[in-house]
Amino acid sequence: MGLNYLASLSHFVPELLACVTMFGLILIEATYKEEHKERGLFFFAAYIGFASVLTFLCLNLKHEAVAIFTNSAVIDPFSTLLKIVMVLGTMGATYLVSQSKDIEGNLRPEFTIMATGVLVGGMLLSSANNMLLLYIGIETLSILSYVLASLKKSDDRSSEAGLKYSLYGGISAGIMLFGMSHIFGVLGTINFTEIGVALQELTTVQVAILLPSFLLFLAGLGYKIACVPFHMWSPDVYEGSPIPVTTFFSVVPKVAGLAALIRITTVFFSHEGAMNMGWVGILSVIAALTMTVGNISAIGQRSVKRMLAYSSISHAGVMLLGILVISEVGIRSVVFYAITYLFMNLVAFYIVSFVNDKYGNDHFERFNGLIYRYPVMSIMMAITMFSLAGLPPFSGFVAKFHIFNAIVIKKYYVLAIIAGLNSVISMYYYMKIIRLMVLKPAESEEQISGFSLLNQGIIVSLTVPVLFLGIFWEKIMLVATNAKIFLE
Amino acid sequence: MQDHVEDNGANMISLPSYLFLSFIMFIAGLVVMVARKNIIAILLGVELILNSAALNFAAYTRFINQNLEGNIMSLFIIVIAAAEAAVGLAIVIRFFQLKESVHIDDATQLQA
Repeated sequence: MGLNYLASLSHFVPELLACVTMFGLILIEATYKEEHKERGLFFFAAYIGFASVLTFLCLNLKHEAVAIFTNSAVIDPFSTLLKIVMVLGTMGATYLVSQSKDIEGNLRPEFTIMATGVLVGGMLLSSANNMLLLYIGIETLSILSYVLASLKKSDDRSSEAGLKYSLYGGISAGIMLFGMSHIFGVLGTINFTEIGVALQELTTVQVAILLPSFLLFLAGLGYKIACVPFHMWSPDVYEGSPIPVTTFFSVVPKVAGLAALIRITTVFFSHEGAMNMGWVGILSVIAALTMTVGNISAIGQRSVKRMLAYSSISHAGVMLLGILVISEVGIRSVVFYAITYLFMNLVAFYIVSFVNDKYGNDHFERFNGLIYRYPVMSIMMAITMFSLAGLPPFSGFVAKFHIFNAIVIKKYYVLAIIAGLNSVISMYYYMKIIRLMVLKPAESEEQISGFSLLNQGIIVSLTVPVLFLGIFWEKIMLVATNAKIFLE
Repeated sequence: MQDHVEDNGANMISLPSYLFLSFIMFIAGLVVMVARKNIIAILLGVELILNSAALNFAAYTRFINQNLEGNIMSLFIIVIAAAEAAVGLAIVIRFFQLKESVHIDDATQLQA
């Protein structure tokens, strides 16, 4: 049974702290004058806030899973671990925003405030245990994301990105709600646990209504993690948004959407039956399509940022593989994948962002001969690209290996072959950057001001986990294994 | 609530009528979004879809489930739809100021 409200609040401290951080940041921002550029105190307060959220989440990691607020939310180690990933992603994007020239002046604090809001939405989404909280989480996440995408007000690309995001977002939320309303009508409850129980005994008529309803439901969630065929918005939005925003989008909303999808799949479809087969079948097709379309579209891109957007679509496809096996091995692999993906993405976007600040665009040619000017940065970029492509001994390989392991255990050989082929395709465009960095002569000898000593140090320290998790992965895998999902 | 339904059972609008109406609204919303090129009209289509879902929740609560969950969902859908429309319109206004158009075909700068 659920706890009463006051007892529930004691399990809800990280979310409350994130809300307090957001309001505190709004107050601090209000005290600054318009021409005050640095805003050191603001960012200091933001880091303190994120660090306190992180501390409480780490403390929660050892606690038993518990259902709070009359079973509408679940605080379990699984959601807590993914929340840690989201907070780290927000911190990374916040640091990038304080350094990047893509967003300037008072847009920087605005980004931080809204990113904290998105973080709260993501946390709600990953703990949601009924449809209402799921919907509120998705909308908190989305509405603020629309604003983030169109953050550069006088840039028409940015406002076009926000426009596309909000239109697609509104449509998918509506379609998802329409599906949910019929699920509610047939099963009579909005609570996930009760739906999971009710799904075990269904009449044929109920199955006939529920199958299309779940398809509509999946469309809404699929949109959030940008899987094919609901991915059309993603490259445009990623390209139009300022780079720190893109960095943020590629981690936080994606991880939150995956968390919700994992919870739904595990709670609803753990038992054999017509619904289970239908759901797994649809997810397999979507996963195969997502990997393939993402990778093939990434090949022809000129802009590195757009290439990374497509590559993040294909990574979502790989993570879907870990979800559709519906086993503890699968969940553990996806959680591990999310952790490694966070670090790889942050490094790649940091470097692209600083290069973009210097030249005003992020085309592939801007990386020509980077190794002769910034050898350390080029090596970090190369490590990240190898890791994204899934080569040993980097963390991307370990993460992919575990996902493959999970699907081979369940004997989905066709999917395993498709995933393997996709890894080969993705090698092409990841290696392209390395080839340009090493083999081409440098375009110019100018300094890239973003690569200051401090920033280089931070990029190196973010690359350490990429390398480290590829060799000493047992510890983190143990944490991921212990991150069990709440089932009753 | 149960008594009330039975009292008026003879001349009540039945559940299938509500479901049919909401289905029509859903399809109309989809058609509007695909067929219309005006961004404001597309936003209206989104509202149609959201309201069809809200209507479904309310109707199912009234006729079958008799718990409050569906009504609460409807209320939240209405509230959040308003928030979404506010942000959506703000972005459209910004878009209009930059491009002097609310035609969706003018939003093509980001296609590769």
